[in-house]
Amino acid sequence: MDNLELLSEYTLFLKEEKQKGKKVVAFISHDNIPEELLDAAGFIPLRLMFAGNDELMDASHDYLSPSTCAFAQSCIGLFSTKPNHFRFLDLVDYFIVSNHCVSDICASEIISKYFNIPRLNFYLSYTKNENSLKYFKFELLDFKDQLEKIIGIEIKNEALMDSIKKYNNFKKKLLEFNNLNIRGSEKLRILQKAILYGPIFLPELESYTLKFSENQIQNSKDLKDVIITGCSVFLNDYLIELIEEAGGNVISFDTWIGNNYYYQIFEETVINLTKNPFDLLVRRFENNLYGDHSVPNFLENKVSQIEKICQNYLEKTGKKLRIINHIIKFCDHISLMSAYLKEQLQEKGFPVLNLERDYSRANRGQLSTRIEAFLEMV
Amino acid sequence: MTVFVGIDIGSLETKVVLLENSELLDFRVNRSTFDFKRVGNEMFNDLLERNNLKKSDVYVMSTGYGRNSIDIADDRITEITAHARGAQYFFPDVHSVIDIGGQDSKAIVISKKSGNVIDFQMNDKCAAGTGRFIEVMAGALEVPIQNIGELALNSNNPASISSTCTVFAESEVISLFAKGTKKEDIAAGIHKSIARRVGGMAKRIGVSPLLVFCGGVAKNIAVKKFLEQELGFEIMSPISNGQSNAQLTGAIGAALIASDQSNS
Repeated sequence: MDNLELLSEYTLFLKEEKQKGKKVVAFISHDNIPEELLDAAGFIPLRLMFAGNDELMDASHDYLSPSTCAFAQSCIGLFSTKPNHFRFLDLVDYFIVSNHCVSDICASEIISKYFNIPRLNFYLSYTKNENSLKYFKFELLDFKDQLEKIIGIEIKNEALMDSIKKYNNFKKKLLEFNNLNIRGSEKLRILQKAILYGPIFLPELESYTLKFSENQIQNSKDLKDVIITGCSVFLNDYLIELIEEAGGNVISFDTWIGNNYYYQIFEETVINLTKNPFDLLVRRFENNLYGDHSVPNFLENKVSQIEKICQNYLEKTGKKLRIINHIIKFCDHISLMSAYLKEQLQEKGFPVLNLERDYSRANRGQLSTRIEAFLEMV
Repeated sequence: MTVFVGIDIGSLETKVVLLENSELLDFRVNRSTFDFKRVGNEMFNDLLERNNLKKSDVYVMSTGYGRNSIDIADDRITEITAHARGAQYFFPDVHSVIDIGGQDSKAIVISKKSGNVIDFQMNDKCAAGTGRFIEVMAGALEVPIQNIGELALNSNNPASISSTCTVFAESEVISLFAKGTKKEDIAAGIHKSIARRVGGMAKRIGVSPLLVFCGGVAKNIAVKKFLEQELGFEIMSPISNGQSNAQLTGAIGAALIASDQSNS
């Protein structure tokens, strides 16, 4: 199934859910949005996880400067032009404005304001001390209030706890799927679909896990194994094709569409021992060491995490992983930290490619050269 | 097999070399035009004919922007790896390479220990800091491209070109010209601007001596001089028999890699 089919299928899914009376809440996908609260309130969370192209980026320039995060440009471009397979964006009832990064705030505000989508606010603190955790809980409660005002009934703690368990189980299954040794493009395709649909995709995910566990790559000596970190590889992006055409295989996605999402798992005992579900969400925020925003000293965490993944992989397979740090142009956060990340990992003996690009098709040839040269290097 | 052909299909020019026992036997350089495949095939066939060889006598390695567009190649390699290997052919102790071609520029760091590429950086999708930039500026100054480097070295007071964008820089050049700024000063400013841009990129990945400057733009003496000023050390350019081989480095590297593979 290609992405266009997936998007058509997703449009039908959203339409059916809307017919059942559900409302759709869109947000710029990141790892601190409490989607369980949305689920407990009966909303459909819609993560904006769609890569752009030249036309979408151009279409955003009425609202944003071209030197703004290419992903933010593309999100706005999608709402501005609504290409054929993105008609489901007409079904969005609310948009969450959050402060994951500067572009998140700007793009979300623009989408809400100029495309007349009522906003919901959910802000994060950048630190993680006692006060900021209290603040995070207040934000969760305020977010709950905003949702309750829309639905007109209280969101019960039991319902929230059920949603937390449901998402937790879903993430465990995603992690299990992630650990399969299959082609990166295949893995990404299923991860993207799973994260787009959420736990409703669980039966399909389980059947894929079963199917692929019997068809794993047995002898991958000819493949050059890669881990992608930095910015996510979103739906409709050609990056993974370029890596595979160059003889590479992505075995792990250390991004939103990947580890940052499904590493955030609660132990069963923690869930069972915690009475207030909001405390669980606060705990998850506190323990989120894998994200790249609102995580103090995230770079040190990131370096040690990637190092751990690479070491484990080396011990398990005898193969050295190469690291591609994917930097979407004008994503200041990832871009500014890229030199440090590269230096730190290279010092530890891991080859790193800082791959800065936007979604333009024009630089496909140049990107291909950079990826091929990087894979030739080792 | 002892005869190896390297074909470097650049965005502006295609270079084909013939190597036997690591010795450069023959070469051809032509405009790539828009039809990489036709030009590459014609040059390859011409080279074979001139040397009384058949396709089956040689092993062909392609490189460069158009490396995937020709089907006569037995294998392909990126121009980054090819330039590094080509630079080693002329200077075995090379540690860094700067390659400025028609459409892009690259800085490459080579391990002193293993001789392999350990890091590289390429320009963005932008003509600034490339041969195309010089070509446009030479057009604006109405100076033949082969003379613009020499003209720049006559300057005692290089003009400041602040725009990095080729289109804006062209307007800046025209505006300087209209104000009466001397051609040689504008030319020097243009070359300094390239050196600043490429030098900055090279410094970011830690280039150091011995640095080999190759690619078509390495034939321009002013770019070489201003790059040396920017980097703070002398840089080398491949020359043999009094002729610059800077433009052939990638093709030679590709042929050598084919030979290395054949030996291993």
